[in-house]
Amino acid sequence: MIGNVYQTVCPGCNMGCGLYIREDEEGALLVDFMKSSPANLGKLCRFGMKLPHHYSKATSMVDGKESSVEDAIKAASDRLKGANVTMLGVGNTTNEESLAFSNIADAMGTVVNTGMGVYSELPTECHPTVGVGITLDDIESAKRIALFVDPYVQYPLLVRRILAAKKNGASVVSVGWKDLHLADENRYIDPDLYESELGLDSESVIIADVHPNTDPGWVKRMLNLALKTQAKILFMKPFVNATGVDLLCKGTGQKGIPEIMDGINEGSIKTLVILDSDPVELMPNSDVAAETLKKLDNLIVITSRDSPVNKMASIVIATEPLCAKAGSFMNVEGLLLNNSGEDTAGIDAMSALSQNLGGAAMDYQELHNTVLESIVKKFTKPKYKELACEVLDIGPFEEKKGNLIYLYNPFMWFDQSDDNDFVMVNMNTVNKLGLSKGGMIALTSDAGTVNMRYRVEDMPDGLILTAKKLPVATGWTTVVSTEAV
Amino acid sequence: MVNVGDMLVGYATDENVRKRGASGGLVTAVLAAALEKGLVENVVVMKHINEFEAVPIITNDVDEVLASTGSLHSVPVNLAKYAMGRKVAMPAKPCDAQAVIEQAKRGMIDLDNTYIVGLNCGGSMHPVTTKKMLVAMYDIDPEDVVGEDIEKGKLIFKTKNGEEKAIAIDELEEAGFGRRESCRFCTLKIPVNADLACGNWGVIGDLAGSATFCQVMNDKGVKLLENAIEAGRIEVEPASDKAIAIRAKVNDVMVNLGSTLEKEIFPDIPDKERMQYYMEQMEDCIDCGACKEVCPVCACGEDSKCTMFHSLVDNYKMSMYHLVRLLHLSDSCIACGQCSDVCPSDIPITLLQSRFAIPSQRKREYTPGMNVDDVPPFFEVILK
Amino acid sequence: MAEEGWEPKIVAFCCNWCSYGGADTAGMGRFQQPASTRIIKVMCSGRIDPLHVFNAFLEGADAVLVTGCHIGDCHYVNGNEKTEVKYKFLEEMLQQLGLEPDRLHLNWISASEGERFANFITDVTAKVKELGPSPLKPEGVK
Repeated sequence: MIGNVYQTVCPGCNMGCGLYIREDEEGALLVDFMKSSPANLGKLCRFGMKLPHHYSKATSMVDGKESSVEDAIKAASDRLKGANVTMLGVGNTTNEESLAFSNIADAMGTVVNTGMGVYSELPTECHPTVGVGITLDDIESAKRIALFVDPYVQYPLLVRRILAAKKNGASVVSVGWKDLHLADENRYIDPDLYESELGLDSESVIIADVHPNTDPGWVKRMLNLALKTQAKILFMKPFVNATGVDLLCKGTGQKGIPEIMDGINEGSIKTLVILDSDPVELMPNSDVAAETLKKLDNLIVITSRDSPVNKMASIVIATEPLCAKAGSFMNVEGLLLNNSGEDTAGIDAMSALSQNLGGAAMDYQELHNTVLESIVKKFTKPKYKELACEVLDIGPFEEKKGNLIYLYNPFMWFDQSDDNDFVMVNMNTVNKLGLSKGGMIALTSDAGTVNMRYRVEDMPDGLILTAKKLPVATGWTTVVSTEAV
Repeated sequence: MVNVGDMLVGYATDENVRKRGASGGLVTAVLAAALEKGLVENVVVMKHINEFEAVPIITNDVDEVLASTGSLHSVPVNLAKYAMGRKVAMPAKPCDAQAVIEQAKRGMIDLDNTYIVGLNCGGSMHPVTTKKMLVAMYDIDPEDVVGEDIEKGKLIFKTKNGEEKAIAIDELEEAGFGRRESCRFCTLKIPVNADLACGNWGVIGDLAGSATFCQVMNDKGVKLLENAIEAGRIEVEPASDKAIAIRAKVNDVMVNLGSTLEKEIFPDIPDKERMQYYMEQMEDCIDCGACKEVCPVCACGEDSKCTMFHSLVDNYKMSMYHLVRLLHLSDSCIACGQCSDVCPSDIPITLLQSRFAIPSQRKREYTPGMNVDDVPPFFEVILK
Repeated sequence: MAEEGWEPKIVAFCCNWCSYGGADTAGMGRFQQPASTRIIKVMCSGRIDPLHVFNAFLEGADAVLVTGCHIGDCHYVNGNEKTEVKYKFLEEMLQQLGLEPDRLHLNWISASEGERFANFITDVTAKVKELGPSPLKPEGVK
């Protein structure tokens, strides 16, 4: 065979879309459609189609200079010995690597944080419900679907599932930020009315999402809604192995990325070790995150790809590209998906690191077996009680002010460019501000001003949606003042 | 001596290849010989992923060619992509061959360096649909399947323990399974556009199941066969009149079925309702661009009219991308169905495109992908 | 049906050498014609890509006119013959799409045919007025 064909999974979100990555003689990558893949039948979204752009290889570095992996591991070991270490792995890599990472944490007497701070706010009996969703096929047989995400922008491969459900007679109600074409009803109602107004019962499915910047009150509200209406619930997640890494790191502190950033700012975190997780990309404001990371004494990055954090890291331990890794992923429905790759460079590097730090050696097969034993079993979802939660405050509806809301999607999580250089506003806003056709809207917050093109959508007053990270954002929602330019 | 127009029946001389190949292993042996004797530098073969899926790979290893047994019913793929800049031989269903020829018309590949061994095709099936069908209609565990065949309008599956089960394709398609939609109205079943047109239709008597019927379409076909005979990889004999008649009859039945189904698949939509229909069909488009990426006749590359003049910021009632493609492909769409296969919103994009392409091509008495010298009607613009 | 007093917006692509001259002559000759037309001048009708026509419709045109020199009179020898090939595809395509045929026209007009130009515009405007706004017109565009 000339070149290589990898059977792998798209790293864009936790949907688990299978695909082939072809590598030709010159190393150029091409996406091909894995039609027998259960989650997606080989179909891919915009992000999946652009995947070759995502595979920018990482280079091992020590203090800004290129080095061999061995030297990087050695330097990392020296700096980690005896240090008070914080570890972060959101699940952008295989179960096996995540487990190896967590073994290193054990050796150092610490834990791996998955960055999903919301878990620490939830009683443990809720975790399985948030962690592993219903199957994607279950969506198709639902009688009614309540959407709290925008499938077109955020999780595009959900669209066909929902359309299939509609063909089977389901009705769809969207409680999102803007009108959705596939919804039979688009409701913008007070959260207190969800239970009485959305018409949900045990044959319904709620689709929401959970990510590092989720509002915990919102997740509690969703859990309460599912509890009271007896509807099934599916929490979509942004990282390829978010479900797997959550199951592997159960019982740990589950510190959120924002909390870790706060810790760095306060000076309580001096050494950060991250596995395929870039806070610069993951935090709502890249510039602020980058400034924060500079305050660390030691930033050690183990990663398969080139991303902004590599440039500010003290040490980068580069691993093989995701598609080439031996290993498995668990998607949002709890399905274990295997890579066809056979490379174990990442695991070998972590094994060496572990040994240098007084831990055990690890090999792939052993880790894989542990993964199979520990996370692939029948999931039980214990009952939980109603949770107290705050009503989500999305800010004032003042004249000339708006709430800038992040419509999180794979491009945002990887801070990759796309044809998304615009914000969405409604016609009322256009008229009120006197926006001209082809003109721009200026958004100003404490973090600065940005001029953006705009697209008109049917949506409530006072909202400005973006599918791209903007430098004016201070969180996943930001109050901004608006003006025509 | 082999001549253009010959109708032959042949098989691989290697017993192993002959047994393992779907019908005599002629195609595998011809490809292997082409590589072995230096007629080509590479061969595209289908790598077995599972019983229901194969992916094309490029190889220069004769053993790898011999080890491959292409699944006859695997869905079409963009083979020209792999042929670019290579001296290559490939097996191809009629629509695969059409696509390769369209790419040659657009100067993307050199047909003189591309040998196409055509395979008869009565239709292909989507792997996931097939698995669901096996459970629902056949009561067979998909894991147990070892072979499949289409005979006399029936789809047959063979299982590990030697059992066979046949169900009429009509029945399967009525239940929502069976062939892909674009295969149902396809009327090109014998790859007369390839260099060799091979298949098991017309293989009768003692040879049934262990030989391949092969029609030599052009000089390249002659070369392929003579090369394989010289290499001692195949043996051929003239097909009997009866065999030729039977092959033609099977083809007629298939083609007529395709024509009949076309009328069912494309019911008339009144003038006043069509705009609404197209808008609704395309409204769930998520602008992934997969339908262009996978399109085997498109040779525009990444920066093309349909993509460069389309922007998500434009909230148009219809997407510029689709409008350009509907027009652009109306003379060249071969209805292979790959765009529908990969659409993440399950838009039946091939069916929509065909509503434009079929009348446009018929009016001009033009079928894309048949002969490299037929100029696409839209190219008249450049040539005049 | 269109609202009372609604005026269609018509985009006319005119070539520099003939049909634009025709439009000019129509003005100078003071032939009566409605004010519905927006003229876009191109060097040759052969430059008009179907993409431009789509764009006009998507941005809110109620009708689009493709005009050029009479066949045989093209300033660039055969530009208008190329126009014709493309136009036929475009015409069939938009008809299949369900757009009313009266919203798209091809006409050859020489620089001296001012009256012909004015009559053409008057004719098309009347027909489009009867049809009402184009179904492709974006929301919020009048």
